[in-house]
Amino acid sequence: MDHLDYVLKILPFILSGLKLTAKIYVATLIFALPLGLLAAIGKVTGPKIIKSILFLYTWIWRGTPLLFQLFFMYYALPVIGIRFSPFVAATVAYVLNYGAYLTEIFRGGIESIEKGQYEAAKALGMTYPQTMRRIIIPQTVRRVLPPICSEAVNLVKDTALLAVVGMPDLLRIATQIFTRDFNIIPFIVAFVLYLIISSVLVKLFGKLEKMHSIYE
Amino acid sequence: MTMIRMSNIHKYFGSLHVLKGVSLEVNKGEIVSVIGPSGSGKSTLLRCMNQLEKIDGGILEIEGLVVEAAGNVGVKVSASQQQVRDTYRKMGMVFQSFNLFPHMTALENVIEAPITVNKMAKTDAVKIAERQLAKVGLLDKKDTYPSKLSGGQKQRVAIARALAMDPDIMLFDEPTSALDPELVGEVLGVIKKLAEEHMTMLIVTHEMGFAREISDRIIFMDNGEILEDASPKEFFEKPRHPRIKTFLEKML
Repeated sequence: MDHLDYVLKILPFILSGLKLTAKIYVATLIFALPLGLLAAIGKVTGPKIIKSILFLYTWIWRGTPLLFQLFFMYYALPVIGIRFSPFVAATVAYVLNYGAYLTEIFRGGIESIEKGQYEAAKALGMTYPQTMRRIIIPQTVRRVLPPICSEAVNLVKDTALLAVVGMPDLLRIATQIFTRDFNIIPFIVAFVLYLIISSVLVKLFGKLEKMHSIYE
Repeated sequence: MTMIRMSNIHKYFGSLHVLKGVSLEVNKGEIVSVIGPSGSGKSTLLRCMNQLEKIDGGILEIEGLVVEAAGNVGVKVSASQQQVRDTYRKMGMVFQSFNLFPHMTALENVIEAPITVNKMAKTDAVKIAERQLAKVGLLDKKDTYPSKLSGGQKQRVAIARALAMDPDIMLFDEPTSALDPELVGEVLGVIKKLAEEHMTMLIVTHEMGFAREISDRIIFMDNGEILEDASPKEFFEKPRHPRIKTFLEKML
């Protein structure tokens, strides 16, 4: 019973860490998904200059570690006078990083749509923007749902990097309690919470994928 | 009334000369079948008519409007962009590979263009779509997704989708070539129905019996040129060109 009491005692702290993790998680998805979709459309249909900029973006952000990007936002930018609140700095770093990966996923999806779909839309008198909005993007979204869901599960785990830049997320709080009490239980609680969250998400996304595959 | 007039049309794919100065007229209510060996330019000819391919030379007139002119032909596109778009809107196309929108039911496929392009109210579009689906015999499949339809059913929905835009001209690009033999008949049956309504049609096909039965004219293409433009009777009974004779011997 001692152990249970201990868990109940530390749980409020751990849940406050979980709250931050959840906030960053939701904020990242809310901004990174539209960013990825728009950047992908720009990469496929935009003018050359836009394509070049987007190429640089995905090249740099996919070619360097997420942890480096977090450090850069946290420690390097303030040196040259650019300061954000820790929450904003972290969110921007995650959004730009995940946005870059999502861009490539959406781009691959758009490019996988058959030429015949564009031709059928054109033959029916649809303009290019109408074709993208009504025909190409809806099919793309359904087609890229599985890789996007797997990115969304990865993000749960990547939020643990917040602990490294000193933000009080789930992992950092657990570590703090561990250092204070020298007790393994906070780690076990964090372990169980991570596992539950990612499992629930996997299940949820699985349902979502099934719902959207009715026409296949 | 001349619906389509192509004058000296040239088309290149890279260095490949696919259409070598093709001229052709199609009158209102006429049914013209285009036949010939693969690679002869039949499909390209059709695709040039509704701007799926840009022409590299010649003049294309549809319903009296010059909609495309390329090369040194001394004619300019006389219509405004809006007129050109409206003209193309009156041209329906049916593809060999159906190209239905897989994320939409049969009904949604058919109402899409009337709503998105013609800004029609949804209830009106549904009425039209149901009429067209009934015409191709698939009203009971209106809520079915394309993946659950047979090839023949898909193609009939594709025809209904084109008809919902109330076209003046229908272009068929090998509409039965991707179908299992036992499904060819149902699609040809729908096209025959359109023929009875005197729809102006251009049909690229390998179905010789069908072409002979419903066409007013047969055009034979070979190597980017029109070798023959004749009535079915003339074409099949006394082909003038030796190339046509060998082709027909192989096909029949």
